[in-house]
Amino acid sequence: MIDVSGLVSTILNNQVNIPLLYVIYEFLLKIPVIGSIVTFLLSIIPLFDVPIIRLLIGFLLWKPMWVLLIIPGFATLGTMLLILPWLERKLVGRMQWRVGPREIAPRTRGSIQLLADSLRFLCQEVIIHKDAHRLYFLQFPFLYFLPVLLPLLFINAGAVGRPLVPIETPYALQIMVGLISLMPVFIMGVGWSSNNRFAFIGTVREAFMYFAYEIPFIIVILAMIVLFKTSNTVGVVNAQGTYWGIVLNPLAALVFFIAAVMATARLPFEIPEADQELSFGPFIEYSGIAFGLAYVMAYEKMYVLSAIMTMLFLGGGSGPVIPYLGDLSYGIWFVIKTLIILLVMVNLRGVYPRYRLDQALNVGWGAILIFAIVALLWSVVLGVVL
Amino acid sequence: MENPNAHIDFLESGPLAPFKKWSAKWSLWPCHFITSCCGVELAHAFACGYDGERLGTLNLGIARQSNFIIIEGTITRKMARALQFVYGQMPDPKFVNVIGACGERGGIFWNSYNITHPSDIVPVDFFIPGCPITPEGLLRGVRALQAKIMGVDKTTIDFKEVELPFEEQLEERLVPTSPKLYAPTPAIKVDIKREVDWDFGKELEDKLKKELIDLYESMTITGVNRIAIKTTPGNLMVVAQKLKEMQFDHVKSVNVIQVPHERKFIVEYMAASYSVEELMPVLVTIFTEIGIKDPKIPSLTSVWESANYSERELHEFFGVLFDGNDWMGRKFLLAPDTPDLPLRKEFKIPEERYAFEEGVEPEFMVPIEPPKDLSVPIWEEFIEKAYDSDEIIVPIGPHHAGSGHLRVTFRVKGDRIVDAIPEPGFVHRSMEKLAENKLYIQNIPLFERLAINDPVNMNLAYVRAVENALGIGVPERAQYLRTTMAELSRIEAFYYDSGIFSLFFGHTTGFMYCMAIREMIIEALMQISGSRSGPSFIVPGGLRRDIPDTVLELIDNMTFALNRRMKKFESIFVYNPVTVARAKGVGVLTKEDAIRCGMVGPFLRASGVNYDVRKIAPYDAYDKVDFEVTTGDDGDCLGRFLGRLAEIKESVKIVKQAVDAVKGIQGQILSDDILGEYKEAASDIKGNFFRVYGNLVLPKGEWTTITEAARGTTLFTLISDGESNVPYRVRVISPCWMNLRGFMEAVKGERYADFWAVYGSFGYFPPEADR
Repeated sequence: MIDVSGLVSTILNNQVNIPLLYVIYEFLLKIPVIGSIVTFLLSIIPLFDVPIIRLLIGFLLWKPMWVLLIIPGFATLGTMLLILPWLERKLVGRMQWRVGPREIAPRTRGSIQLLADSLRFLCQEVIIHKDAHRLYFLQFPFLYFLPVLLPLLFINAGAVGRPLVPIETPYALQIMVGLISLMPVFIMGVGWSSNNRFAFIGTVREAFMYFAYEIPFIIVILAMIVLFKTSNTVGVVNAQGTYWGIVLNPLAALVFFIAAVMATARLPFEIPEADQELSFGPFIEYSGIAFGLAYVMAYEKMYVLSAIMTMLFLGGGSGPVIPYLGDLSYGIWFVIKTLIILLVMVNLRGVYPRYRLDQALNVGWGAILIFAIVALLWSVVLGVVL
Repeated sequence: MENPNAHIDFLESGPLAPFKKWSAKWSLWPCHFITSCCGVELAHAFACGYDGERLGTLNLGIARQSNFIIIEGTITRKMARALQFVYGQMPDPKFVNVIGACGERGGIFWNSYNITHPSDIVPVDFFIPGCPITPEGLLRGVRALQAKIMGVDKTTIDFKEVELPFEEQLEERLVPTSPKLYAPTPAIKVDIKREVDWDFGKELEDKLKKELIDLYESMTITGVNRIAIKTTPGNLMVVAQKLKEMQFDHVKSVNVIQVPHERKFIVEYMAASYSVEELMPVLVTIFTEIGIKDPKIPSLTSVWESANYSERELHEFFGVLFDGNDWMGRKFLLAPDTPDLPLRKEFKIPEERYAFEEGVEPEFMVPIEPPKDLSVPIWEEFIEKAYDSDEIIVPIGPHHAGSGHLRVTFRVKGDRIVDAIPEPGFVHRSMEKLAENKLYIQNIPLFERLAINDPVNMNLAYVRAVENALGIGVPERAQYLRTTMAELSRIEAFYYDSGIFSLFFGHTTGFMYCMAIREMIIEALMQISGSRSGPSFIVPGGLRRDIPDTVLELIDNMTFALNRRMKKFESIFVYNPVTVARAKGVGVLTKEDAIRCGMVGPFLRASGVNYDVRKIAPYDAYDKVDFEVTTGDDGDCLGRFLGRLAEIKESVKIVKQAVDAVKGIQGQILSDDILGEYKEAASDIKGNFFRVYGNLVLPKGEWTTITEAARGTTLFTLISDGESNVPYRVRVISPCWMNLRGFMEAVKGERYADFWAVYGSFGYFPPEADR
């Protein structure tokens, strides 16, 4: 038998602390009609001595659930996916002396552009061509969400002493690295099942790039684990109380950033998808909503990698406490930091042309690998010896 | 064809209709399917300045990811297949806009043997007229489509019916007849002796006579820097070899002229030299006559590689078999269903009409059915060879995000390109045939469409050929103005190429900056002539009208603004470490290879040959302005690109000098030689145009002119019979056509991704090459 009342008390004892909600609650009580409705709702107590509405809200405000669903979890990810491509188009447009999407909603500078695009993708025909492997062709873009969404379970958006993490485990970083390493496998599956020349070339390029960035990526994560002497995401943020990771080991931050750019195939490493060379490489045969998913895939990956970077190098959600917001203020700082990294990443599109495959591999196996090893040694010196 | 309104009907069906319509309206993604020269204006419409992305239209992805095709102008028979393919690949619902006059009923190319109408192939939503259209027009078409999607079913223009006073007693007017005069049995002679003041020519003639003793039938000086040698088909090869030993190292043009009533073909090769400085301006024509039945001649490809593609082309046009060229019997420029031997005189294209009689159906339709067979063959032995040696075949284009209107088939081993086979002709609008059916003056706008991003130079090249034949001069003021315009056009073309170069590297910012710079030059050309990229402003003997001082002032000011933006472009793209890494040492064309392949223009100079028509045979005001020819030694992509950037600076210098000089020169802008009795037209031809130019007849013979266009030497050969007021044959060798051979040579052995670096660095503009 499950101890239901025990579970209820666990949920209610581990709530997110947002004082603003109490202020709102008290304000609601004062409004004539709504106040009585709220009082009435609170009087429905079927079981466990707790009003059912309190139980529902309590479940949402249960710390692990709140972190997973709101910040930095699904809600934030969804919002990011909706505004990030728009922000990218606007920012790059501004760099290029243009306006970017606008006429759809001139007041808000065309901010709902992606909504129109995604709706259009949704309503468009999905073509599965004759030569494709039907089953894999359809399922890989959906399966891809798994390795992208699962790392969110371990991301700590809190500050020192105030963790905001769904699952706390000593192996969090290792699990995240494992999941992230899985992502290219799905892209390769996408390319393979497409059965197209360009998809094939793109897939091979993806595989080459995978090895070029994955090893330095793992080494810098290792460097940070050595530096912080823990791989628990809560411990990682706690260890950045005085100095952020980027100050302690700037080289590791640089390597992590470049590896993230390579992993998400942004310019100048937009090699597997190279629009002019391969016309979207692995995704060349996708249309309709399947392409829509493929289109946001890269942004999802970017979000996860930026969130990890914020956690490892920018002190997670630490920042000046905003009054009345409590735990929410850490979440806000976390999202702001992540957004800054994301914007730097998308802005590279306006600045750099594309490297050739062999040059990118040189970067990956040469400079970046050496930097990663130096970063690791520095971590050893800083964390173990000193 | 299925229900043409099916896609709109789909959007309007079901409970989700409002959402479907709204999202389709704001998310029209055009696919990368550039079909003809209006693509230049498409680039402007989606670059800064016009910014089509404002409307939510984003040029991203290929057929599968887009829902909108903008057909840019001419659909040739070859491109029609691609269009059908691309349209079929796109997911429903999808929409089609056609821009440009030639997409509607053929426009200026309406009677060409190689075009079809897009509306016969795909259901079209909107036609946007113009030749070329303006970006405003294009975006207005997008807006109209958006309105159509939302259910506003109306034409873009509301016509109003008005009552006009009508006079009953009008005198009956006759339908004007065609002003064209064709000689029934034209006398075609390509070596007409002319007395010219050319001492070096006499020397050269003696030397040639000594070398080619017994090998030639006659040797004539046909003009300054032109020598024609007649030989027999049997001796052709030996003569060519002898000439090659005399450092005539490449062929500028290969030409075939059919003389049906004498039952013969005249085949001519124009050899020139890049190695010896004093031989550079000289064109030696060796020609021979062969019978019309079963025409066969030894191919000179083994001697002059640069003749290769031209021989293939002429084989298709005339059926002359060049024995030894490995492409005989195959299609190169033309589509499988294009009528055979279209340039022969027996093949007639529809005549132009100047008015329509009542009851007579206008003969607008292209007389040839749209293609039914969709297969695009890749040669079987090519595939077999590739499979035997563990290579994969990658065909690129014409529908590819980075191919333009060209198809290249690669054999790729690992990441290296083993072999690249070009398949041009997707924009072959058959200008040479059309020109034979137009008055000399009507051909000006036709040949301008060779490259609408370099219009003035194309215009100038043709006009110079006419002027050369008529022997007329140009007043000094007009010379300077023509030089100014030509250099503006050169800058414009180079920036277009630079933009495409940066786009091929995935650097959209560089592309946008280039388009912004082009926008300024287009503004200047617009102030001069009123047209963005089809000015047709240069006419034989001068210019159409004088350019006012205010416009000259504007051009002068523009050069300063240009400099500032140029620096911005350089700092973001040219000095970008990634650009340098991508372009340096890639696609190297050595000096020997460049000469062998007959490269022209900045691409030849980048390989270390100091050859510029503006210097070796100056025309207009080029001998009066101070500029330097840029040469490089590397011959790689970066060298070719930087060389052109340096040339832009020289061009700006020339523009400044010419504008300064022209302020001090007053006078007429049309030569008295051409005006004849219409002296009042000396500063503006308006009102006298047809009277002055309508009945031009060129003296008998062959007239060859070389002009330095932006991308290199443009050669026009006009052959006149001395009686007709239309040319008997026009041969155009555009710079990109000559550069194609070297382009394919530079690609071999490079990595797959380097193809785009090489492509961009050659500034290959397919409409210019395909003609």
